[in-house]
Amino acid sequence: MTLSSSATADHIYATGLRNQWHAVVPSHFVAPGAMRKVTALGEQWLLFRRSDGALSMLADRCPHRGAPLSLGKHLGDRVACWYHGVEVEPDGTVSSVPGLPGCSLEGKKLVTSLPVREVAGAILAYFGDEEHPEPAELTLPEPLTDPDVDAFLCYAEWDAPWRYAVENLLDPMHGAFLHHDSHTMFDGDTTAKFRIRETARGYFFEKTDQRGVNFDWVELCRTGVDWVDLSIPYPPSAGPGGAFGIVGMVCPVDVRRTGVFFWRYRRVQDWQRASWRFLYRTLIEQRHWDVLEQDRVMLEAMPADADQRENLYQHDLGVVRLRRLYRAAAEAQSTAGA
Amino acid sequence: MTDTWPYLDVHQSRTHEPTPYEYKLAATLEEVFTREGHELTDVVRGLNARQVHAADGSPWTEESFRAEMNRLGA
Repeated sequence: MTLSSSATADHIYATGLRNQWHAVVPSHFVAPGAMRKVTALGEQWLLFRRSDGALSMLADRCPHRGAPLSLGKHLGDRVACWYHGVEVEPDGTVSSVPGLPGCSLEGKKLVTSLPVREVAGAILAYFGDEEHPEPAELTLPEPLTDPDVDAFLCYAEWDAPWRYAVENLLDPMHGAFLHHDSHTMFDGDTTAKFRIRETARGYFFEKTDQRGVNFDWVELCRTGVDWVDLSIPYPPSAGPGGAFGIVGMVCPVDVRRTGVFFWRYRRVQDWQRASWRFLYRTLIEQRHWDVLEQDRVMLEAMPADADQRENLYQHDLGVVRLRRLYRAAAEAQSTAGA
Repeated sequence: MTDTWPYLDVHQSRTHEPTPYEYKLAATLEEVFTREGHELTDVVRGLNARQVHAADGSPWTEESFRAEMNRLGA
């Protein structure tokens, strides 16, 4: 087992919560018949895809001497460790020890294998610790399953702690300042009052005095995977269909790196859907990217002790709530010192 | 595709670099949406008024515009 409940709460808080699903990388990062090494929740993993498309996610660690399986060979339905040829099946079972046929390792499930699902172009995996190996129930974001909604995934890798990336999303007011020079968030008041509104799956953090103008609200949703939902108006140039939404998820890579997943979605059908998709690919995607880069530049420049030396005000209630929630979950997941 | 950190790719939705025709059509479409409106009739009228025609040079009809968007936005 690689994810241990004996990890300290500080470690869990820094590297990502366990016993839930997280997005890992886009699906196309692992071609049929290929494998790819990834880091997630501070651990090394191997994504392995058979030629028929079936995907598995294994701890990147040979059960024999601990060599990375990612340096080994893809054998079609198994991976062979480069060091001594030990063969591991997609479910983590050792199928063969070529140097010592009949060895007691054979037939044993010795490599952690995480449950995986592919959703709207992204690989999601369930990261249970040794006390919670069975996957938590997963309810997918409605915008990603609604046939009347169309979405494009944008994935990017940032040198910033995962929690800063989520906190950035629970802080809508930055839209009016950091993104003032952007194609979508130039408008709206630069002062606001906010409130938290609890829901069965998380909470809204929203302006009380403005809606549908800038980045005016966000909902944190905890449905087996943590995600946010938000809506931002497009200028008239984007054509019919109204505002676009974002479903956001993050992959905690390690203590200082994060994979961010932003599905830009819009409720559009027929020619309106087609014209948005055409404009998105040709002109709008670049503008969305420019906005995202503003976030990346800011978060990557934040000092390591940024959240230790703050003076927060009313606009930060959403962030405070988030930290409290994540801190409590990290404490609950750690049995260290128990 | 690169295996190296960080992955920062501006264009993740494209299948090809847009052609000059596609860039021109997209830019004009944005202008038409801004100035003329969001109805299909507005769009066809606006594109034709600007002499930005289909790839074969013919003026747009609602039918040909729908077909071209379905091709380009599939």
